[in-house]
Amino acid sequence: MTPAWILDVFAAVMLAVAAVSAAQLVAAWPRRYGPVSTDTDIAHLLMAIAMAGMLVPSLTTLPDRAWEIVFGLLTAWFAGRVLRAGGGCAPHLVHSAAMLYMFLALPAPAADGMRTLRYPTLAFAFGLALAGYCVWDLDQLSGRRHAFGGVLSPGVTVSCRIAMGVTMALMLFRMI
Amino acid sequence: MSETAVVSGRTAWRDRLGTRAQAANPAVDLRRALQLGLAGCWLLDAILQYQAFMFGKAFGRMLGAMSVGNPGVIARPIGWNATLVAHHAVLLNTIFATLQLLIGLGIACRPAVRVALAASIAWALGVWWFGEGLGMVLTGSASPVNGAPGAVILYALLAVLLWPRDRSGAPAPFPAARAIGAPAARALWLVLWLSLAYFALLPGNRAPQALHDSIASMASGEPHWLAGLDRAAASLVANHGLSASIVLAVALAVIAAGVYLPRPAAMAALVLGIAVAVVIWVVGEALGAILAGGATDPNSGPLLILLALAYWPTTR
Repeated sequence: MTPAWILDVFAAVMLAVAAVSAAQLVAAWPRRYGPVSTDTDIAHLLMAIAMAGMLVPSLTTLPDRAWEIVFGLLTAWFAGRVLRAGGGCAPHLVHSAAMLYMFLALPAPAADGMRTLRYPTLAFAFGLALAGYCVWDLDQLSGRRHAFGGVLSPGVTVSCRIAMGVTMALMLFRMI
Repeated sequence: MSETAVVSGRTAWRDRLGTRAQAANPAVDLRRALQLGLAGCWLLDAILQYQAFMFGKAFGRMLGAMSVGNPGVIARPIGWNATLVAHHAVLLNTIFATLQLLIGLGIACRPAVRVALAASIAWALGVWWFGEGLGMVLTGSASPVNGAPGAVILYALLAVLLWPRDRSGAPAPFPAARAIGAPAARALWLVLWLSLAYFALLPGNRAPQALHDSIASMASGEPHWLAGLDRAAASLVANHGLSASIVLAVALAVIAAGVYLPRPAAMAALVLGIAVAVVIWVVGEALGAILAGGATDPNSGPLLILLALAYWPTTR
């Protein structure tokens, strides 16, 4: 079994992501950033809370069925965004779809507490895509910092996405 | 600057980073793209290292099994390391997984790429000995179909070939030549693929049922589609171990010589190399046995593909 404290660390990272996303939403509110970045922050907030609950059961906030509906809606929203605006929203679509898949493919816990995902090939595909987006995001983020320096807010948003991508991929491969 | 301008500028940043399709990406050439592929492989390695079973006694036993058949001077440190890992599985595996995570993220982060690549070479060499028993190349049981010469040594080789440095002089004919020069890069390619051809012809691999048994054993625990593919491939080579090994060895030798050929023939050889790597990864390695649970890495297939792409001609 993975030691509980390691899962606690990842859950803490997710709670930090949730806090940062909430702070960005609050900070953005009077400045009217518009739906373009607001939906990203809302998605990050919800995903981080859901993942923290999956990693540490005591942090569970909503029943699985509710999260299925939430991530079904987010997946549909970002799919629409991808269709309208192109591939820029694809990472958000993949993150939302991976969360939806995790909740749909997760059976009830076995006697030993281990949960194994149905359709593991999908978990593998999502894991690869998430790992790919993580390295791409990090490359782009570090390249921009070289070129332009100190743009805190976008950097924080992308850093949150990287942390969520790593954690999500880790959860998927743990449950194959 | 007015607040409106600041907000507008920041909004534009957020849009480009998160949501807009027309992002102006920093330049990513083929070598950088391959570095990112390598980073992705390290990241996948790290994530697999965090799997539950890695924190138990089974990981130490798995490492200990790598000493079997190796000469004493190689086997003894493997046994010592396996015992150490078995006794401190949680601590050491956490360190291993986190180190691999940092290597993967480090290669993806432009300012840290040199440090991360250097660390990856040192770590890969250590794992090749203590974790993979030198890819079992000294035991007579290494086979290109199941990961010889050890996936992790390919990480080190890629780190050397993709080192972010350019030799002065004429433009390099392919990305792998940029850091160490074309003659050295071609020699490394030749040695690797010829060694794979040699391993394919070892007595243990050319026996009538050797290839069949190796492929069929990978079906266990895999999803239906992959297990079916493995069983079908195994039945195809049943009792044809010698002829299949010869065909494979000839293909590997052609790939080895390919980088010395003129551009069109070299490209054909590289495509053949990629095709062979895909077949090895899907059929021989069952995608690194990741879907069966308990894999420590994606095995050699993806790395051979990255390697072939590193030799893709970029100048005419």
